[in-house]
Amino acid sequence: MIEAIGRGTREAMEAIGSAGRLTIEAGRALRDVRTWGPNFSLQARQLGVDSIPIGILIALFTGVVLALLASYSFTGAVPRYLVGTLVQKTIMMELAPVLTGLALAGRVGANIAAEIGTMRVTEQVDALETLSFDPVAYLVVPRVLAGTLMFPVVVGVAMFVGLFAGWGASLMLLDLSTPEFLKGARLFFDGFDVRYGLVKSASFGFAVTMLASTAGLKTRGGAQGVGAAATSAVVQSAVMILVLDAFWAMVWLLGRAR
Amino acid sequence: MNKHSNDWLVGATVLGGMAMIVAATLWLQQAEFGQERATVTARFRDVGNMAVGNQVVIRGVQAGRIESIALADSGWVTAKLTLDPGIKLPPDPVVLIQAATLFGEWQAVVTRREGAPQIREVYNQLDDSLNAPRGALPGAVLPDIAQLTSVAGGIAGNVASVSERVRLAFNDSAARELRLTIRNFSTMSTELTRTVRTQSQNLDIIAAGVRAGVGDLSAGAAALQRSVGRLDSATSQGEIAQILRETQRAAENLRETSERLNAISRSLQGSEGSLSSILMRTDSIMRRVERGEGSLGMLFKDPSLYRNSDSLLLDMRSLLADLQKNPKRYINLSIF
Repeated sequence: MIEAIGRGTREAMEAIGSAGRLTIEAGRALRDVRTWGPNFSLQARQLGVDSIPIGILIALFTGVVLALLASYSFTGAVPRYLVGTLVQKTIMMELAPVLTGLALAGRVGANIAAEIGTMRVTEQVDALETLSFDPVAYLVVPRVLAGTLMFPVVVGVAMFVGLFAGWGASLMLLDLSTPEFLKGARLFFDGFDVRYGLVKSASFGFAVTMLASTAGLKTRGGAQGVGAAATSAVVQSAVMILVLDAFWAMVWLLGRAR
Repeated sequence: MNKHSNDWLVGATVLGGMAMIVAATLWLQQAEFGQERATVTARFRDVGNMAVGNQVVIRGVQAGRIESIALADSGWVTAKLTLDPGIKLPPDPVVLIQAATLFGEWQAVVTRREGAPQIREVYNQLDDSLNAPRGALPGAVLPDIAQLTSVAGGIAGNVASVSERVRLAFNDSAARELRLTIRNFSTMSTELTRTVRTQSQNLDIIAAGVRAGVGDLSAGAAALQRSVGRLDSATSQGEIAQILRETQRAAENLRETSERLNAISRSLQGSEGSLSSILMRTDSIMRRVERGEGSLGMLFKDPSLYRNSDSLLLDMRSLLADLQKNPKRYINLSIF
């Protein structure tokens, strides 16, 4: 058992170390714009633009369910306009970033890990090095930049859609009037809510793409290794999203609450 | 898809997403462009739980937001209030900070000074901030919901104590007794209903009697009314006045008689003394007579004298009879 604990600790430290080393290498590779620049827009489209429908779908249903849940929960003396408050706060600060991040972790993380892992097992990464291309600058940096930039865009759209979905559900299903919903939504709204959600989603994008790239570059073996890398990337990304969610809450919200 | 189309699509998505986020933020913040928003500063000693972004309310209508809150010199707190376009402050304005709802929401109410609640503490705060060296709207904090909830908490504790006592008092035996009482009450109610039904019949009879009595009374009242009418007509013909005048004269006569009686009484009081002395003397004489003193006493006490007197009377009576019979024997009248 002691050996298992030691092995687990070592593997965790190795993962953190390799991710940190890759992060440092990616930071250095940022200067090599000519290498990662041409790939950025393609990655931004694949990771961001193509993910918008998923973000919209998630936000749409989340907004509706949240409005119904709030109406179900707020009974008695609780004013109904607080449905708007709950939808606004929850969608913008928590559900849109986290649910969209988790969905993109599956889609983007698996995509990146499988793509880079396949290139690794087919020695295309080695070929890049042979051709004097920095594989980190060519493969990792555009994906990480695209993920960090496009995750907030997708989450921002999800926030907007989620809020309107909650509004529409309140109007059509809950007999709540528009002024009531808006009163609740505006009651405790602060620009910080949006900033908090967007910054959090940017960190999710960075973590997902970085972990997926690390898993891809570490792929060994054949198709089985690629599958394992994709699975590992998705699991690690999902866990990291939840960890970062708690991290930002403790660092940012706790400070403001005091 | 070529590189340029990717670039355009990504750029459009980023711009669209940013525009969407900015628009939603501005919409939720109710931002308005191209219109002047007035800003006023209010001064407080304490701002309670008010926070940046809380609404400013004038006569119950949202009229702006709290823009900033900052500590100032001499123990003051200044709050900057941004008013919506077109909003005008009421005359002699003051700013009152108060809880808007039970859920921790606070608001700043701008109102006229005389519209502030009649609370001495509030007026003290307003006067204090009014006398501040630099010009700003005077402000005060109304008692927050926490104070009310603390009072409510005390009340709730008392209620809990009472309910606990009730729970202890209302045990099984009490419940049985209560049930028995309710049953008795039901029986009593039935009896009462029966009694009422019986009495209602008696009441009907009484009511009939009362109705007849009322009829009699009405007849009496009519007779009285007729008498009053006659009396009224008699009064109108002056008979009553004449009776009154005669009565007045009789009273005067009575008064004169009374005065005379008074005079007689006074003279009787004077004669009473004389009468008394006469009686006393008479009494003295009678006592002397009784003792046989004096001539009269001797006359009463000596039986021989009585007998002599009696024989004298007999002699006198015979003499008188002889005189009547033979007057010439005793009386000789001659003329010339």
